[in-house]
Amino acid sequence: MQINMVPHPKRSTPGRLGTIITFSLAALAMIYLSYSLPRLLPGDFVTAMYSSSHVTLTAEQEAELRAYYTEEPGFGRYLFKLVRLDWGYSYAFLTPVSELFFGALPWTLLLLGTANVLSMFIGFVTGVEAAWRRDSRLEKGMVGGMTVLEGIPEISTGIILLVVFALKLQWFPAAGAETAYAEVSLLARLATISHHLALPLTTLILSYFPGNFLMTRNSMIMVIKAPFITTAKAKGLPPGRIRYAHAARNALLPLVTRFGLRFAFMITGALVVERIYSYPGLGTLLFNAIQARDLPVVQAVVLISSLIVLAIILGLEFIYRMIDPRIEHAH
Amino acid sequence: MHIDFHQRVFRDPWFITGLALALLFAIATILGPSLVPFDPWDMSFVPISQPSATHILGTNDGGQDIFSELLYAVRNTAAFGLVCGLIALLIGVIVGVTAGWMGGLVDMILMRIADILLAIPAIMILILTAALFRPSPWVLALILSGMMWPSISKAIRAQTLTMKESLHVRAAAQIGAGNGYIIRRHLMPELFPLYLIGFAAKARMAMFMEASLAFLGLFDPSRKSLGMMIAYAVKYYYMNIWWNWLMPPIVCLSLLIMAVTFLAISLEKVLDPRLKEALGS
Repeated sequence: MQINMVPHPKRSTPGRLGTIITFSLAALAMIYLSYSLPRLLPGDFVTAMYSSSHVTLTAEQEAELRAYYTEEPGFGRYLFKLVRLDWGYSYAFLTPVSELFFGALPWTLLLLGTANVLSMFIGFVTGVEAAWRRDSRLEKGMVGGMTVLEGIPEISTGIILLVVFALKLQWFPAAGAETAYAEVSLLARLATISHHLALPLTTLILSYFPGNFLMTRNSMIMVIKAPFITTAKAKGLPPGRIRYAHAARNALLPLVTRFGLRFAFMITGALVVERIYSYPGLGTLLFNAIQARDLPVVQAVVLISSLIVLAIILGLEFIYRMIDPRIEHAH
Repeated sequence: MHIDFHQRVFRDPWFITGLALALLFAIATILGPSLVPFDPWDMSFVPISQPSATHILGTNDGGQDIFSELLYAVRNTAAFGLVCGLIALLIGVIVGVTAGWMGGLVDMILMRIADILLAIPAIMILILTAALFRPSPWVLALILSGMMWPSISKAIRAQTLTMKESLHVRAAAQIGAGNGYIIRRHLMPELFPLYLIGFAAKARMAMFMEASLAFLGLFDPSRKSLGMMIAYAVKYYYMNIWWNWLMPPIVCLSLLIMAVTFLAISLEKVLDPRLKEALGS
């Protein structure tokens, strides 16, 4: 079997324009689903949804909501309202949905962004170092440990950390993102924010980085066998330079490519972790909205966060092209 | 490629561990209903009682036997994962082989659809449908499988492209074998290792999704699930329920996902053609 020595998944990569079209179609599909699904519901949707919910509606609100869901605005108008941030009105919080959304978004970005950057970095460095020390006792132990960690879902890690460090030892707060109503200086505020962030962040890192480690190690092992590494060694380059400037650069590629694939999946874990620690991000907003059957909020959070995910993956796609020029030359 | 693989796979300790765990869960799943001491929906016991001889793990806030609940929950979570994995595999193999073998326009259209599906976060579609329609778990499983096949089909397609150029497939075409014959007799059997990798990876993903959705309260509350048990137990964190109510579903969920993860990682290590070469086993 013909094997490419340098790990480069044989994929059907569309050109720059093709990628943008693909992502626009995906975005359009999401928007269309979010537009059409509520209208597919049989019967009187408003009564069905709100009769068993925690929200009590005044007659006026009910009429308004019914009008909102029975009107046929047409897909064009729906799109227009979407762009204008006119995402409807939350009946549980009595505020515009966009306000709730943008209040929660920074916390999710902070949590997910930090977790991803850190787990990427830790996973990458440990993966490279482990591959370099292949078959040593340390490497075997690390691979074993990471394989076990990879098998523990966020729900389990999150609950165990919560019970041990927040409830038993009480080292960290069990809920929220900062101490409420405290008039404090900027520095003290940063301290409480990171104090609150510690547990959810650790949970996410523990579940993200083993995957990054294993992936980096595997691709690094493949890269190390490539002839250009032998050349680099023969030239007498220092080991650190061979490891990072020559080998690790190529091992980075699958990590970045597969990031997009895994990102959509990682969102699930983030939702769960936010819920466990009552972190006031989009996951908690979504969870509360589901509990209260606050449909405009559910719809908006689902749609807008999917669009953000699409934008992030699209951005990564272009970064990937920059690191791996072979893709551009393939056309 | 598929002749010697089970010998090598059975030498991998991860595979053995994963398989042993999976078998244990399989037994619990199949024999579950006859093993349970009580009906898991029976609410007639004293609520939140500690473990005793009759209730091995005590009872929950609704006065239901936790051990019986646990067996049913493992069953539901595992079944959801296996069904999703199977359906996703089926679609993935058909699309992948078709795209790889046909090439041209068919390939382009199928792979663009796959790209679009890959970009959309499946969990969001599931949450939206679950929140709006409250469908049965099987409908959600179907939707999830409908979103999970693209990565399987991409792997299968890539391997099909390689095999298309291989000597024996070209020879078969030379003798006059038709598309159907080559696909059935040569491609499908030789791609078998990739099925296992894809199936294990997707089953793992689906079990994880099921637990998360249940934890977020998106399933019918009367349906026993590990995620839902954890969500209910956490509400009583201030009571002495950690060891008998909170930990069992957490441990079961972790072991279940671990079993599939071990199998997936081990199979990938042994069967992935690129990795196999590099690891030189």
